[in-house]
Amino acid sequence: MTKKTAFRIFLIGTISSAALFLWATYDTQRQVATLSHVDKLSDQVVAGKRAFQKYNCNDCHTILGFGGYYAPDLTKVVQRVGEEGIRYRLKSPELAFADSPRKMPNQHLSDQEIKDLVAFFSWVGEINNNDWPPQDSKKRLSRGEQMMVAKVGVSPGAAVFQTKGCMNCHSLHGTGGTFGPALDKIGASLSAEEIGKYVRNPKGVNPNAKMPSQKDNLSERELDEVASFLATLK
Amino acid sequence: MEYRSQKIAYWYFAAALPLFVLQVVVGLWLAASYTFTIPQSIVNVFPFATARAFHTNLLVLWMLLGFMGGTYYIIPEETKSEIYSTNLAWFQLIALLVTGVTALVGFLFGWTQGRPLLEIPMALDFVVVIGALVFLFNVGMTMLKAKNWTAIQGTLLGGLVFLALLYLFGIPFYRNLVIDWYYWWWVIHLWVEGAWELVTAAIFAFVLMKLTGVERQVVEKWLYVEIGLFLFTGLAGTGHHYYWIGAPRYWLWIGGIFSALEPVPILLMVFDTMHHVKERKEKIVNPLTWTYAIGCAVLHFIGAGVWGFLHTLPQINYYTHGSQVTVSHGHLAFFGAYALLNLMTFYYAMPKLKGIAEYDDRRGKIGFWTMCSSMMIMGLTFGVAGVLQSYIERVLGMGYMVAQGYMRLWMGVTMVAGVFFLGGLLTTVVDLFTLRPAKVQT
Ligand code: HEM
Ligand SMILES: [Fe+2]
Repeated sequence: MTKKTAFRIFLIGTISSAALFLWATYDTQRQVATLSHVDKLSDQVVAGKRAFQKYNCNDCHTILGFGGYYAPDLTKVVQRVGEEGIRYRLKSPELAFADSPRKMPNQHLSDQEIKDLVAFFSWVGEINNNDWPPQDSKKRLSRGEQMMVAKVGVSPGAAVFQTKGCMNCHSLHGTGGTFGPALDKIGASLSAEEIGKYVRNPKGVNPNAKMPSQKDNLSERELDEVASFLATLK
Repeated sequence: MEYRSQKIAYWYFAAALPLFVLQVVVGLWLAASYTFTIPQSIVNVFPFATARAFHTNLLVLWMLLGFMGGTYYIIPEETKSEIYSTNLAWFQLIALLVTGVTALVGFLFGWTQGRPLLEIPMALDFVVVIGALVFLFNVGMTMLKAKNWTAIQGTLLGGLVFLALLYLFGIPFYRNLVIDWYYWWWVIHLWVEGAWELVTAAIFAFVLMKLTGVERQVVEKWLYVEIGLFLFTGLAGTGHHYYWIGAPRYWLWIGGIFSALEPVPILLMVFDTMHHVKERKEKIVNPLTWTYAIGCAVLHFIGAGVWGFLHTLPQINYYTHGSQVTVSHGHLAFFGAYALLNLMTFYYAMPKLKGIAEYDDRRGKIGFWTMCSSMMIMGLTFGVAGVLQSYIERVLGMGYMVAQGYMRLWMGVTMVAGVFFLGGLLTTVVDLFTLRPAKVQT
């Protein structure tokens, strides 16, 4: 091979790849409007993005999987902890994370900034991004759930309880979160129907409830299964 | 040293090294934040986010200073002329340092653009751009006036211009988060897997040619093939960051296929380094410099090529994306490719700048092996933590903090390895600043 041939390889390689890349960039710009629901990208959402950048949230949390890996991903945070859950954590992180080994700074956000941030996260959660992250995916029964049902012999409801985030707030036999009450004996006071109603709309039962509705987080089947599981705990 | 103006390179290197040390010290704080519980009162005033901005910006700053110093060292020998203006080179060094320090102090007070790795506020971005333009002007004028065109010069200048152009895409505020990340990667990916590879390939080719005495024709022929393959795979390979951001689905194909080929040019670099070393026409005078060159080629391949390939296919990346697996790769790749490249350049140029033909390399060797082995261990421990995270959090679907609980031990081991790394680095830095001639063996 001569130096001239080598130079030709360089030119052809670079130009062909650049052409493909630039064409795809043009096409992506076109399609992003639909994929990210630009019609819902309001000024409030943009204000939320500005607040997100102002407080450098992204150097601890990932969003769409990019950023710091020190705190949970925020792509589907609304689906996971609910709008109320976000407001609580932003307003009083020292309470929300009192028992967590990892703390979040209190940035003294204004109420307006908190509202904007919630709008921003709600918009991000709807981006059509090939169903990432897997742990928040609605489409698939997580491998953890499958294995617990098949191998460990727990009921499907118990598997849902353990893997769908209930234990971020609630505990059973001392394992789990402390935001919400321990549920070891919940079946003694509530029936499966009552629990089912509560988890679908906590505020409808108790207007002061801090717990977010699980209607968007869990499917109807999962809601029924987790309710009947909890009702057996007496 | 053949040209007087090459001396300026020394000050770029001297500025870069302490920043590297500071980067690693802050890194230890980050590892400690994963290992221990940092109390709320400290987190409120010095959050992890600020420390991370320090860690990454220091990395970029010292490496760019190293590249610029390397360029100023190489250009006179390649063009066979003095640098166009040493005053401009001084101005630009000071401008960059002042901007960097201002940015870091600003982070402490929350002055930030709040985008990972591109935290520098817009006002300072413009100073960076001016500094870059001065640098490119100075380098370009030197080449134009000398008119001794070589492929190494062309690659170096091309890489630097490309690098500067890409930076512009990181400056604006983007309303749409999807578009924001789309162009964020034009800076991050197209830097490390595009522009920086060109700069590196040029510097590496120069040093290799000088060390081994292999003919320019041969070295430059391989240089063309390598940068051609780098750009062929790296440009469209950007798609491996577009799988989960809300971009069209075809990126899974483009990104997967092209980025899976990215290790090829890196492997080629390993082969031709080995080949040139074997076919050398010069004696090995300073073995440590040679060790750095080979170490750089090999760890570049492991960190970027192998570790990059492991999580670049969409089927795997779906589970590992944005986990400590990414961190493992980031550390091995940056260290192997760019930290070692810079240190190799320093070990090649510093003795010449000080007029030492053959330097005493006993301390330097300890530094090299300590850094390389502790970084390999860190790559593995980050990797174990990352695999645990991918499995517990993403596959099993358990909570984020549940997974972090299992990973804590491994982050602790990483911190210990990091202490060893700092030891190796301090040894290296002290050695570089106080190089002594080797005792003549009798
Ligand atoms: C010397 C060259 C390279 C350097 C310095 C480097 C560095 C990095 C860094 C720092 C990140 C993380 C960015 C972030 O999200 O904050 C990253 C991500 C990534 N790199 Fe590289 N890289 C290099 C080469 C490669 C190569 C050759 C490949 C593929 C073969 C590759 C594959 C990836 C992938 C797939 C990700 C995304 C990880 C995720 O999904 O979170 N890298 N790289
Ligand atoms: Fe990349």
